Amino acid sequence: MQCVVNLPAQWVDASKLETALRSSCGPHDARSFEVSFEFPTNCKVMVDAAIRLLALANQLASTTRRVRMIFAEGETGTMGYLNRMGFFDCLAAGIEVLPARPSFSAAELHRGSNRALVEIARINKNARDEELPTRLTAALMSSCGKRADAKELEGATWTIFAELIDNIFAHSRTPLDGFAALQVYSGGNRISVAVSDSGLGIMETLRPSLRTEFPTLVGLSDTELLVEIFRQGLSRHGADRGCGLKGSAAKAIKFNGELDVRLPNQRVLLTPARGTYQPNTAYCYEGLPLVWGTHIAFSFRLNP
Amino acid sequence: MGSLNERGRVLSLRNFMDRPEGWGRDQGRHVYQRLLRFVEDNAGTIVFKVSMKGVQRLDISFASETVVELARRYRRFKGFCLIDLSDADLIENLDAAAKKKDQPIVVWTGKSAEVIGAEPSEGTREAFQFAMTRAQARATDFAARKGVSIANASMKFKQLWEQGFLLRRESVADSGGVEFIYRRIE
Repeated sequence: MQCVVNLPAQWVDASKLETALRSSCGPHDARSFEVSFEFPTNCKVMVDAAIRLLALANQLASTTRRVRMIFAEGETGTMGYLNRMGFFDCLAAGIEVLPARPSFSAAELHRGSNRALVEIARINKNARDEELPTRLTAALMSSCGKRADAKELEGATWTIFAELIDNIFAHSRTPLDGFAALQVYSGGNRISVAVSDSGLGIMETLRPSLRTEFPTLVGLSDTELLVEIFRQGLSRHGADRGCGLKGSAAKAIKFNGELDVRLPNQRVLLTPARGTYQPNTAYCYEGLPLVWGTHIAFSFRLNP
Repeated sequence: MGSLNERGRVLSLRNFMDRPEGWGRDQGRHVYQRLLRFVEDNAGTIVFKVSMKGVQRLDISFASETVVELARRYRRFKGFCLIDLSDADLIENLDAAAKKKDQPIVVWTGKSAEVIGAEPSEGTREAFQFAMTRAQARATDFAARKGVSIANASMKFKQLWEQGFLLRRESVADSGGVEFIYRRIE
């Protein structure tokens, strides 16, 4: 069976990507042997959606499915933008790109010369790039460096990247690369910080340890548990660990950051209320098409 | 064990790190081993003043595996306080890491001290403040000053020592019995 994911002819964020995935027959469905992602004219993919798409496409290619990306506008449209981000440098070699793979990597061409340019960073467990959080954060400072709270913003973003990427090294247990990216939108008033991995979902690593480490939390739903992961800091390694995700959330909350977590079949959106994330302001979408791994995006809305 | 009166030895964290940013648990564990060797090589030193000079960033996981773990490991026997630390972001990350491990750490700025991480309980806060404002403190002094029983004052100081807020050494009281002398970590 051929599975077609039709992206809409507009800005595509993580929510729009979900809508497109739900309208398809499910790329990871056992009956799907061929998956096409179609990008129509005027389709513009935002960074949080881009790295989820990239992770998903590479997952599908790793399962020997035939994967195709069809860009109606060619390199003049969203394909050119994705190329500047380094999307095609990270896309599995066997994935077919139509009309054709970009003949050169625009990200490679611009690397180092324009720090404002968003760039997808590859997280390879076998070749840890020790400069990664610093490099990703530098792009932010070139856009927001003049803000009064620039230093605080830089510190918060660095810590979020450092903790989320380190979590991938520690927990995700997958040979597939993870990805991280940052983008500043609309005059520096909105920032998206996104990190994706294709390994085990956060629930799969944490749930089995609950009975021994956190017996009082055994009865929580996945949404409630996810809120506690970011609020209390929970780790399968015990009560004195798990401070990374909690700390990342605390940094994001200072900038009124919204948190979007995509798990294999669920997506949870958290909005800060009274200085923390709470279960009653969490929105959970269940029964979504399978995407392996854990995909986390923080979105800050900054005051001008 | 060296004298409790000796001055703290400065431990410059940056010298144990490969780069000015401390990132992640693995890197933290490597640095921790180096720190541990330094501490063991200075067996007579009771207090280490961990200087943050030159450290540009630390994430919470790195802080947890290094400075905080060291303070926790040697709790009751050695003290680790922080100096040369003014960056709000570093303080916040160290605080988050120390809170998670229930470990207090004193940050010294000149003569003024601030505790990050675990906080003293309601019942011991006054005794802690008493100890922080003098070079050394005895339960008998605090009992006399606050009008509480010596047993009660002793219990408070003992708790503060066990939780890592203070250090102590044994001494002989005027009565001839054993008395503990408590001191702040500086």
